[in-house]
Amino acid sequence: MPFRYLPDIALADVAFEAESGSVDGLFEACAQAVSDIMVDPATLRVGTAREVGVTSDDLDTLLYDFLTQLIVLKDVDSLLFREASVRVAPDQRSLVATMRGEPIDRERHGLRNDVKAVTMHMFGVKREAGLWKATVVLDI
Amino acid sequence: MPQIENIKQVSDVVWEIPTSHKPGMLVPARIYATKKLLDAMDAGVFEQVTNLACLPGIVRYAYAMADAHWGYGFPIGGVAAFDTETGVISPGGVGFDINCGMRLIRTNLSFPEVKPKIKELVDLMFRLVPAGVGVKGALRISDSQFDEVMKFGVKWCAENDLAWEDDPSHVEEGGYIKGADPSKVSRQARSRGIDQLGTLGSGNHYLEIQVVDPARFFDHALGKHFGIVEEDQVVVMVHCGSRGFGHQVGSDYLRVFDGAMKRYGIAVRDRELACAPFASKEGKDYYGAMVCAANMAFTNRQVIVQKVREAFSQVFHRDAEALDMHLVYDVCHNVAKVERHSYDGKSAEVLVHRKGATRSFGPGHPDIPASYRSVGQPVIIGGSMETGSYLLVGTSKAMEETFGSTAHGSGRTMSRTQAKREVRGADLQRRMLERGIYVKSATMEGLAEEAGMAYKDISEVVETMDAAGISKKVVALRPVGNIKG
Repeated sequence: MPFRYLPDIALADVAFEAESGSVDGLFEACAQAVSDIMVDPATLRVGTAREVGVTSDDLDTLLYDFLTQLIVLKDVDSLLFREASVRVAPDQRSLVATMRGEPIDRERHGLRNDVKAVTMHMFGVKREAGLWKATVVLDI
Repeated sequence: MPQIENIKQVSDVVWEIPTSHKPGMLVPARIYATKKLLDAMDAGVFEQVTNLACLPGIVRYAYAMADAHWGYGFPIGGVAAFDTETGVISPGGVGFDINCGMRLIRTNLSFPEVKPKIKELVDLMFRLVPAGVGVKGALRISDSQFDEVMKFGVKWCAENDLAWEDDPSHVEEGGYIKGADPSKVSRQARSRGIDQLGTLGSGNHYLEIQVVDPARFFDHALGKHFGIVEEDQVVVMVHCGSRGFGHQVGSDYLRVFDGAMKRYGIAVRDRELACAPFASKEGKDYYGAMVCAANMAFTNRQVIVQKVREAFSQVFHRDAEALDMHLVYDVCHNVAKVERHSYDGKSAEVLVHRKGATRSFGPGHPDIPASYRSVGQPVIIGGSMETGSYLLVGTSKAMEETFGSTAHGSGRTMSRTQAKREVRGADLQRRMLERGIYVKSATMEGLAEEAGMAYKDISEVVETMDAAGISKKVVALRPVGNIKG
């Protein structure tokens, strides 16, 4: 998996660290982690595609706003996603993503925890030894 | 516990970290804990409570209650009061689940009457109160009605046949906090919340049927004041908050404050502590929006209680009124409120942040309903679904020491990941049934994460607050049926 959970941080919540060779890959990995916390991805189909566009101030806040958008789509349109294809603009202040998944099905989906929000605790994107890395703590 | 430089013991259950501990601390930090609880606290608590002590305008102390554990920004179990003119307001000091809180409803049913019906009751309530990921409620309201919910909370419910006459007065702040400003709430927050009234959510939220524990009925006179009179009396407890609505208000303003801090020359040790002067535009806007979410949470718990009354009525073939299903009380444990307190020889309004902490106003306070005013405010401390909960009462000492605040629950000691490694949800469900607790959960993995072993001993937490005198024990409540979100 392109992300790993950090179980010793913020006990009541869920923290993870993701990494990738590209910014696009990092955002895709973070989207996958958020999804994995809410549902067993093996039980999700990819029947519905949704375009997500986000504009923000910098790369950090772009990731924050993007992940928040996925949580909003879960509540407003009852959509959970299994796959993400993200294109971050060269100025790293906007992105377009194609999210693939399906509406929540309580009978078929292996539902887990409802993610409330992305916190700013330890939040950040950095580049280290040629890899893009992000640390994210989600409020559960 | 990590080595904390200069920590000094104030009493058996109060510890103080002086301002010399960390550059920038404006006030000392105070931790309410027995030595055992203190030693078991994770490093995050000490780091976070001392970060809190650095925020501009904080007065007296930064507090961590006995249930404190590592949160984001503030520790869970954190309390901080700020001068309303020179101090800040922090969305991270409230949490995303604005006005997450507890509600306790009494019944006149005894456990022998309820025991044969537990499964039927829990199954019915599970159908009536949606729980889990992304659930929507049965109540459909218009945008303008949602504005009324934001402004008037349980008062709106009372005017729309969703509350009994005496419900609003038995909710903290009389059922709604004044100062709501729906114009400060984003379209996205509205969209997330408008369909969620009457839903439980997920995580540690629950709806629980409980029985008075006769061996731990500490104060019968106080119990009687709150309508708890019998040694096998059945009550119902609700734990949830403002759902996606509050979560989005928190997210929106965290971003606003993250940018605004530069303008106000505020630097914080953790981005989640983002804050702005309470008197600033950003501060006022957030307060107006946060109050909207707090009032939505009161309404959410009210709609759930109406469903609980409906379920009991259906199962016992009697009106909920005949079952005496009155509200004992409803308390917030994630909120910031303007309150008048006496400290440092003066009486002044302060902005009290309670994040995973409960108001604990003592006898005589005008904000307590008339029927309880002579004894103090009911304080509801929710435990894990295995170990039970407590009803306590607020005290004058809490007014003197902690801005009228006490703990809110057990406090976690184990991560969610670790809990899942230790026990499988289905095994836990079976084990609890063997012990007389029928549990229904929206998710088996989520159930494992909430196992009792993942939490501190709630009795130790409650004994600490009782020994400190900032809330006094009334009665312990034992779970017999539980719906976990």
